[in-house]
Amino acid sequence: MYRRVLGLVFVSLCLSQGLMQAQDFKLFDREVQIHGFASQGFVHTSDNNWLTMNTSGVGSGEFTDFGANASTQITDKLRIGAQFYDRNLGGLGRWHPTLDWALATYKFTPWFGIRGGKVKTVMGLYNDTQDLDFLHPFALLPQSVYPTDLRDVTLAHEGGDIFGNIPVGKRFGTLSYTAYAGHRSDSPYSGFAYLVNSDGAKFNSFGGLQYGGDLRWATPLKGLLVGVSRMNEDVTLDFLSGPNDIRLNSTSDWTNQYYGQYSWKKLVVDAEYRRYWTNLGTQGVSMIQEDVRGWYVAGSYQVAKRVQVGSYFSHYWLNYPVSSLLPSGTGHDYDKVVTVRFDPNRFTNIKVEGHFMDGYGLPNQYPNGFYNANNPQGLKPNTNALVVKAGFNF
Amino acid sequence: MKNTRKHLKQLIAVAGLLTSLSAFAADVKIIANPDVKADFISAREIKSVFLEEKNSLDDGSHVEPVLSKGGPAHAAFVKEYLGKTDANLQIYYRTLVFTGKGSMPKAEASDADIVAYVARTRGAIGYVSSGVSTGGVKTLAVTGTEELGSRKLITHVDPVYPPELYKNHIGGIVRLKVTIAPNGSVESAELVGGNPVLAECAIAAVKTWVYATGSSKTKTELTIPFDANR
Repeated sequence: MYRRVLGLVFVSLCLSQGLMQAQDFKLFDREVQIHGFASQGFVHTSDNNWLTMNTSGVGSGEFTDFGANASTQITDKLRIGAQFYDRNLGGLGRWHPTLDWALATYKFTPWFGIRGGKVKTVMGLYNDTQDLDFLHPFALLPQSVYPTDLRDVTLAHEGGDIFGNIPVGKRFGTLSYTAYAGHRSDSPYSGFAYLVNSDGAKFNSFGGLQYGGDLRWATPLKGLLVGVSRMNEDVTLDFLSGPNDIRLNSTSDWTNQYYGQYSWKKLVVDAEYRRYWTNLGTQGVSMIQEDVRGWYVAGSYQVAKRVQVGSYFSHYWLNYPVSSLLPSGTGHDYDKVVTVRFDPNRFTNIKVEGHFMDGYGLPNQYPNGFYNANNPQGLKPNTNALVVKAGFNF
Repeated sequence: MKNTRKHLKQLIAVAGLLTSLSAFAADVKIIANPDVKADFISAREIKSVFLEEKNSLDDGSHVEPVLSKGGPAHAAFVKEYLGKTDANLQIYYRTLVFTGKGSMPKAEASDADIVAYVARTRGAIGYVSSGVSTGGVKTLAVTGTEELGSRKLITHVDPVYPPELYKNHIGGIVRLKVTIAPNGSVESAELVGGNPVLAECAIAAVKTWVYATGSSKTKTELTIPFDANR
């Protein structure tokens, strides 16, 4: 396993420079740009298995993803492109490629544009870039707000956006807005599908209407950005339980997210809060209610041209009516993280990250990384994790 | 006559020294393909174009940015005009590219490569050190930011290029802080950077400029190019 990780690092370092040279070509007199990325991770945990991988013991290298896109500017205002994405993360993804996004964008003015197709959903600082690990100092974003196993719930929609930037003068900064509506569906290799299947049922589908908006304000204080996002969903969870086809419809399902970011020279500080509420039921009877709240504060600093260090504190909890009666470790997760990122060149990065976690959420309802299925011995309250990840992009 | 020539030579030597110091201080000038109609560009437009928020100027000219891969001019440009570090800028472009919202702009290795690319590419706009030879491209004067919308430049005259300096290829940019009176006239112009030898000519020209009237005084910053290679 260690050899595999080291091998990928070496190949990445060698290939990335060469690939960089061959990213553009002409098609019908239009320049087409090709870009791609890949990463390979290794995770070792002290006790519980994490993120559907068998991370305790010797650790797991089932932490691979890659993607590529092609895009071109048709006219000054019209642009088209598409990206595929594939990942294998323990029991998730399972090497099944997906259409990550495929869209046409028409920008009438800087303050009004439209895009349609399969679109990454803008929500908070990183919802639309959470798979693009090379953009972030951390190997794993704070799981309280961006749970990588449950990402399908918010990641993208098939529909349309309107968007724009509105300068409101030097004294007031710039407002950016996005409003969207479309259909979203969980992959059969997502975290909720894994949860349903591991409970002995058979996952069919989970998805429906998704609509909402994001408003962010680049304040007149240089480097300070604040924003708010709202997402509403009208979704159906469909699965087979024995011979019975169970369909749970949402009577209410929404997410609110508030965020801020401050950049000063080589320092970046982020803070976000997300509340996710859902009520799923059938024939007027509520079957699943979740009120999940998460927040984090993260900081990163570029200590040298190629070295960045970072840390975050991330906390999520389920606002459970009888949380005080739950066993230790259940219903919450506190994650203290330190990371070092090294970029050997402009296209390659290596990250070493430590996680010190207290709690494991609610594995049979909102797992957020910890599942009963791959922790048959029972979950312990604390988990320490070492994450090593290498990747490149061009 | 002999004394005059001697003084002129001294002046040229000092001017040359100041020009090289100006370049060393990483002053940049904005260059564009001759096909671009505009002679002026605001700092706000530069930011919008290089951050891919727009790909045409206010006068309708199509533009596409070209960046430098590094160096002092690049660092100065990114900090001064885009308000970012190079690392932040790379993340910004990659975010656009990998979410389908934009493309990776062209990047050239040297000032000479940028000049060559801009010269041969319709609509190209780039930046180079102020002392770099820029044959085949036009140098754009840079006006202030938000003032451009409310205090539009109505009339302007080009500065008179001192013939001796032009003949001896002494050029560069002059950066001025300008105060515009409510009636649109230029009340004052103060040198804040660039080649001081050329400041007097730039200030003399700018003081004749007329902006749209406004309700109060406004301040703006201008970058006036003196292209010794045109």
